[in-house]
Amino acid sequence: MCGQTFPVGDYDALGQHYFDFAEKSDIAHVMWLNRYVTRKKTKDAKELSKLLAQYFDLGQTNGNLQKWLRLRFIDRFYGSRPHPFVVALQHPSKSILLGYVIEHQHFLKQWVRSCAYIVAKTDQTDATLYELDNINTEFGGIGTERPAHYELLLKMGESLGMDRQKILSTPSLPDTASSIRSWDDLARTEHWVETMAAMHGLELIADRTLREDGATISYFDPMILKPGSHEVTEETKDFLREGYEADVGHSKEALDLVEKYAKELNLIENVQATFLKSIDIFHRYLMARLQRAEEFDSA
Amino acid sequence: MPEGCAICESTWGDYWEEVEGQRMFFCCEICAVQFKNMINEVKKRTGWPSIGEIKIMGDYRGREVTALRDDKSVYKFIIRFGSKGEIQKFSSL
Repeated sequence: MCGQTFPVGDYDALGQHYFDFAEKSDIAHVMWLNRYVTRKKTKDAKELSKLLAQYFDLGQTNGNLQKWLRLRFIDRFYGSRPHPFVVALQHPSKSILLGYVIEHQHFLKQWVRSCAYIVAKTDQTDATLYELDNINTEFGGIGTERPAHYELLLKMGESLGMDRQKILSTPSLPDTASSIRSWDDLARTEHWVETMAAMHGLELIADRTLREDGATISYFDPMILKPGSHEVTEETKDFLREGYEADVGHSKEALDLVEKYAKELNLIENVQATFLKSIDIFHRYLMARLQRAEEFDSA
Repeated sequence: MPEGCAICESTWGDYWEEVEGQRMFFCCEICAVQFKNMINEVKKRTGWPSIGEIKIMGDYRGREVTALRDDKSVYKFIIRFGSKGEIQKFSSL
């Protein structure tokens, strides 16, 4: 989380580290403990070490790393209090969709950069092929037959009355910019398997099968995609449908690769920690989309 | 041990600040910034010179707050903070 590394399975050292930093009211460590482990201070570092070992233990998902990642994602975005952006996207207003468009075009540029880091660092053919396909789907597209997710996003913005040039020339909000910097830093410095988990784990946001694992709602109410529904523009349906249909496969295929290589290379705990860092960044980024929407509302 | 952070009820940390003449415990500096920003905003919006009590429900995704004055006046609102503790959303209920 803070860059400090520990030997695999050394929860005593990890617990002592968190306990010491929490004692000093270090913002990042205290927030992390509050959000993921407990808001109640433990009596000592040893007790915290036990809680951390329990938190990261894959025994709770029968050794399945992908399932562990899915459950943590649900806790953060789809639990009893879903993320406010997801709540707003159930039946989205024009400003919510425009907030999405403006901030997300910046996000997608970083997305392909992060995927490119994976390609640059791995020598595994299946991982390279996966990333090339993903980059193409998200950013390149295949002719006019299958426009990229990026193009569909811009078309959604245009259908909402915003000029393409205006979309492209609007700078991101500070929280989007800092999120992008964090993801770039992560992809540059971490192992490619961790980057895969960090980035493609985010595609769980539109994975409707999360409902099977306890998510309280889906990314948006699928009723808005129905042919007769005029709640959103056809271009908005095209954009949302693409994620709705693609992200189940995208995240599953990528997380299968993560599971395989994390186990082969003994990187499970690193993957878990980096994934948690990435979903923290994602929370901040989704709030920026909401903030942008609120700016449109108050304009 | 303190009861918990005035914003999030966490008992981690050891950060103290004087707010409205009272020495208060926070788990970290960000929560202290959030609390002070919230108090200032309530005073600005209500015109109250001081606030007797604050009740907070919710979490970092958004909080529903009830501010009480000594004369039993009540002011309810929803608040959400940005990553640096600044107020990102404030709406009266």
